[in-house]
Amino acid sequence: MSDVLELEDLEDLECELEAADAKAGRTARRRTAIHDIEPGAAWNDVEHAILTRRSIRKFKGRQVPAHMIRRILEMGRFAPSQGNCQPWSFVVVRDKAMIAEMEQYCVAVCKNMTASVDYTNYPPGSEQRAAIMENTQKLNRASPNSFHPVPMTAIKSIANGRFAVFHKAPTVILILVEERGVGVPEVDIGVTGTNIVLAAQSLGLGTCWVGFSRLLSSNAALLEKLGVAPPFEIAEAICVGYPIGNPTQQTVSRQTHQIVWWEGGEKQILY
Amino acid sequence: MNDAIVKKAVVDADHLPIWDDPREAIYRKVTIDLDKCDGCKLCVVVCPANILELFGPKDNLKARLKTDFTGCMSCNNCYAVCAGQGIFATEPYDFAGYYEQKRISEFAFPRNF
Ligand SMILES: Cc1cc2nc3c(=O)[nH]c(=O)nc-3n(C[C@H](O)[C@H](O)[C@H](O)COP(=O)(O)O)c2cc1C
Ligand code: SF4
Ligand code: SF4
Repeated sequence: MSDVLELEDLEDLECELEAADAKAGRTARRRTAIHDIEPGAAWNDVEHAILTRRSIRKFKGRQVPAHMIRRILEMGRFAPSQGNCQPWSFVVVRDKAMIAEMEQYCVAVCKNMTASVDYTNYPPGSEQRAAIMENTQKLNRASPNSFHPVPMTAIKSIANGRFAVFHKAPTVILILVEERGVGVPEVDIGVTGTNIVLAAQSLGLGTCWVGFSRLLSSNAALLEKLGVAPPFEIAEAICVGYPIGNPTQQTVSRQTHQIVWWEGGEKQILY
Repeated sequence: MNDAIVKKAVVDADHLPIWDDPREAIYRKVTIDLDKCDGCKLCVVVCPANILELFGPKDNLKARLKTDFTGCMSCNNCYAVCAGQGIFATEPYDFAGYYEQKRISEFAFPRNF
C-alpha cells in the first residue's frame, strides 16, 4: 500500500469496520445515518423549518428567555466558515432603552438620506427634483447596491415613521464581522446568521434580518456602548421575538432560477 | 422543463431606473380575492412595504392596496398569514436598465422532488 490512501482503500476500510461492527453487535458509529428518500417524500424537520420561515416584523411584547437566545447563538457558533476562521462575534441587546436609542439613530440617518437623495419627494418637472436627481444618480452609480430602489423605498418609509428598523423586537442580535477573516468574511456572516435564524424558527421564534443595522456604524458613541471596535464592525442584525399572527399558515411561492445541469456529456437548462 | 420567461441577456445597463416611474420600477401587483377575505387585518399588519389597508363597513371589512403604485417586494408575507389564501403576489418585482433581473422565471411553490 502506498503512503497515500486511495479512495478504494478507504471504501475497503469502511467495509472492514462495518463487518467488525456487525460481528461485535455494535451499531454504526462512524457516520450519521443516510436517509435515502423516495421522490416526492414529505419534508423532513430541517426542510420544514426552511420552508416555513418568514421574516417577522411584528412581535409580541414578551421577552424571549435568555437561554433560548444562548441556544440559537450556539447554532451560529457551529456554522461552517472559510478556513474555519469563524469571523464573527455577537452583541445581544435586550434593553428597551438601548434598542430605542439604536432605532432613533437609524431613523435620523434615514431622514437625512431621504432629504438629500430622494427626488421622489418632488413632482416630475420641478427644479428641486432635477437638482437632487443629478446628485442621486451619481451616488447610485457609485454604489448601485445601496441605492437599489427597494432599500430606497424602505429608507423613505423609515424616515416617514411607517417602518421600524428593529421592528420593536424584544431582542436584537448584532452580528459583527472580523474584517481580517479568510476570503470573503461577509459570506461567513450569512452562513452563521442562517443557522441562527433556522434554529430560532425550529423553536417557534420569529426573526428578521436587519441589514439597516449597518447605519449604526457612523455613531461612535453608540458603537462604544455596544462594544463594537476594530477589527470588528457591524455586518448584520437579527431581530428575535415571538411572532404575532400565524406567519406559517402556508409556505409561499418564490422565483425559479436557472439551473445549468451537466450530466452524461450533455447540458440541460432546468428551472 | 417549465416555460421560463428568460429575460433578454443584454440590457441597457447604463440606465438607472427612475424610482417612482411605474414603467421603470415595476413592483408587483397584489391580487386580493375579496370573497376569500374576511378582513382579519393580518396581512395589513405584516406587510413590510406597509401598502395594505382595510376598507368597507365595520361588519364587512376587506383588504386592499393603499395606492396603485406600491413598493411591493413580492415577499408574500401577506399570503403566508392569510388563513383563506385570499391575497398573493405572483411575480417578482423588476426594474428597467441596470437592475433588470435575469435568469428568473415565474414563481413556484416548494416542489418536493
Ligand atoms: C442579509 C439580509 C438583510 C435584510 N435586511 C432587512 C432589513 O433591514 N429590514 C427588513 O425589514 N428586512 C430585511 N431583510 C428581510 C428580507 O426583506 C426578506 O428576507 C425577504 O423579503 C424575503 O421574505 P421572507 O424572509 O419573509 O421569506 C433582510 C434579509 C437578509 C437576508
Ligand atoms: S389576511 Fe387575508 S383574510 Fe385577513 S385581511 Fe388580509 S386578505 Fe383578508
Ligand atoms: S407580497 Fe409582501 S410587500 Fe407585497 S403586499 Fe404582500 S406582504 Fe406586502
